[in-house]
Amino acid sequence: MLLALAWRNLWRRPQRTLLSLLSMAIAAALLVFMLSFQLGVYATMKESTLRIVDGYAQFQPDGYAADPGLDRTIAHPEVLLADAISIQGVTTAAPRLNGFAILANGERSFGASVVGVDPAPERKASSIASMIRNGRYLDATDGDAAVLGASLARNLQLAVGGKVTLLGAARDGSVAADVLRVVGIYHSGIPELDRSILEMPLSRAQDTFAMTGRVSTIALVGASLGAVNRALPALGSLARRNGVSLLDWGALEPALRDALTLKYATTALLYLTLVAVVAFIILNTLLMSVLERTREFGMLLAVGMQPRLIGGMVWLELLALALAGCAIGLAIGAAITAWFEYRGILFPGMGDLLAQFGLPPQLYPTLTPLSAFIGPGAILLSVVIGGVVPYLRVMHLTAASAMRSP
Amino acid sequence: MAVIAVVAVTQALVAAVPDADAILKQAFDNYRAGSSSTSVAMTVHRTDWERHLDLRAWTRGQDDALVRFVAPAKDAGNATLKLGRDTWVFNPKLNAVIKLPASMMSQSWMGSDFSYNDLAKSDDIITEYTHRLLATDQAGGHTVWTIEAIPKPGAPVVWGKVALTIRDDYVVTEETFFDQDLKPARRMQTDRIATLDGRPYPVTMTMHPLDAPDQWTRIDTSDGRFNVSVPEYFFTLSNLQNPRQ
Repeated sequence: MLLALAWRNLWRRPQRTLLSLLSMAIAAALLVFMLSFQLGVYATMKESTLRIVDGYAQFQPDGYAADPGLDRTIAHPEVLLADAISIQGVTTAAPRLNGFAILANGERSFGASVVGVDPAPERKASSIASMIRNGRYLDATDGDAAVLGASLARNLQLAVGGKVTLLGAARDGSVAADVLRVVGIYHSGIPELDRSILEMPLSRAQDTFAMTGRVSTIALVGASLGAVNRALPALGSLARRNGVSLLDWGALEPALRDALTLKYATTALLYLTLVAVVAFIILNTLLMSVLERTREFGMLLAVGMQPRLIGGMVWLELLALALAGCAIGLAIGAAITAWFEYRGILFPGMGDLLAQFGLPPQLYPTLTPLSAFIGPGAILLSVVIGGVVPYLRVMHLTAASAMRSP
Repeated sequence: MAVIAVVAVTQALVAAVPDADAILKQAFDNYRAGSSSTSVAMTVHRTDWERHLDLRAWTRGQDDALVRFVAPAKDAGNATLKLGRDTWVFNPKLNAVIKLPASMMSQSWMGSDFSYNDLAKSDDIITEYTHRLLATDQAGGHTVWTIEAIPKPGAPVVWGKVALTIRDDYVVTEETFFDQDLKPARRMQTDRIATLDGRPYPVTMTMHPLDAPDQWTRIDTSDGRFNVSVPEYFFTLSNLQNPRQ
């Protein structure tokens, strides 16, 4: 009864109701799209950044993150590697040896990280294999092969087929020295990476750095960051059993995590403003309609309708309006998002900038239940709570004075 | 006559109130002389291993040095040559000479607690720092000076401060290196002083990085000759790669 009354009341002024609906729908649609876009881009950003070298999580020797060095190692990692990929959500475990050496070619020399990798899992764990610009990536049969970043190769004046001399300190304090053949040059677009990392086969690196049977870290990758994050408890207990540390993505890339947290906080402010503005517009409109109907409410009171019921009716009007507006907004927002999720959004001329953040030139929003419902939900909630104001106003009416109002 | 008297008085004053710059200069001259040729045993201690290396070292003036490892077999033949500000290393396995990039100078030298900088910029303490005599004490029948060295503005050095104690026979007994936050980072201690080729010399010294308590590098100088003529060809790249015996 009350609901039917409320619904009919709304359509006594169709123009006003339609405008209210429209403003709510637009705000809700905007929120759905913006949140989906933001979450989608952040997920891409996280995954593509982590996929370059870190992986979605890592096993490290205790204390390695604070003080990396060849004296902190994971010895005989074979069982740990096999156990890790048997965990649901983890598809690849890539062992690595992280050394440091002077790389030289004739007169030229530069310091660089030398990473020993197992080519097969490394191809799946890191996107460096897909960034090879000249030559090829390492493969299982390689011995004295190396791939290095484009800037490093240019600084050393090395091309594919050239020889690079490596001189550093081995784990036992002796001199680590080797001569490697350049088989590939990668270009990631990230300057720091392109000038500082050389990859070589793990077994050869273990010989060179006196690290036989030992690795520095194990990078873990799954179908998605979410899948690996869900596997963290199982990975954590595996790490404890093996006396190593497990680092999640935030621990591997604290700067990225902090940047995203800051970004969430600032955009949340924007979303809150949008929700608040819409909520106030709707409340204002309804309060107007309540004031206009003071005489009418006085009449209803005079014929014996309880103030509680009148307040309830007004509140239901608001609820119906908000529900309809948010539903329309949700539908429009979801449709737009789905379209761009399929098509992608191209940012012309921003490819290089995006590449620095490890992003592809085409960005995709991701529609998830969270990104779809949180915006409209917030509007609905704030309007429903704000509805207390017209409700209280109605409760304070008395028949005599209300009927005398103009 | 008057001139002689003034000179004599001045010398007496210098002797009575020694100047920090002069002490340091004298200590350095005592250590390095015009040229030197020494045999050194180096022990690198780590939590889970310890290594012993034998090396021969030659110096010329304040800037040039050649160090050649002779044992163990695994390291024999590795050599480091320093000429002025430039440093080259020779590795026998590679049979190649590599010039050290500036960015690598702070790396560990042969896995020890010394960096290439310690080798290359050894007289920085005289040229790049200002010195102040903090205290004059008596210990073990010797006068011991404590000198504080602060880098000159813009000096290309890594330390924020260096504190040294020097005995009156011009042997440095302790040298503490402070980082840019003036926290002590590492300490070189003289464990034994003996007479080497007629001069008092810190024959056993140990470098302790202060952030790693169970880690040190000790150098024992067993044989040394000073102000000897070292042939010119010694300090060349070709001699670094193909030593003439």
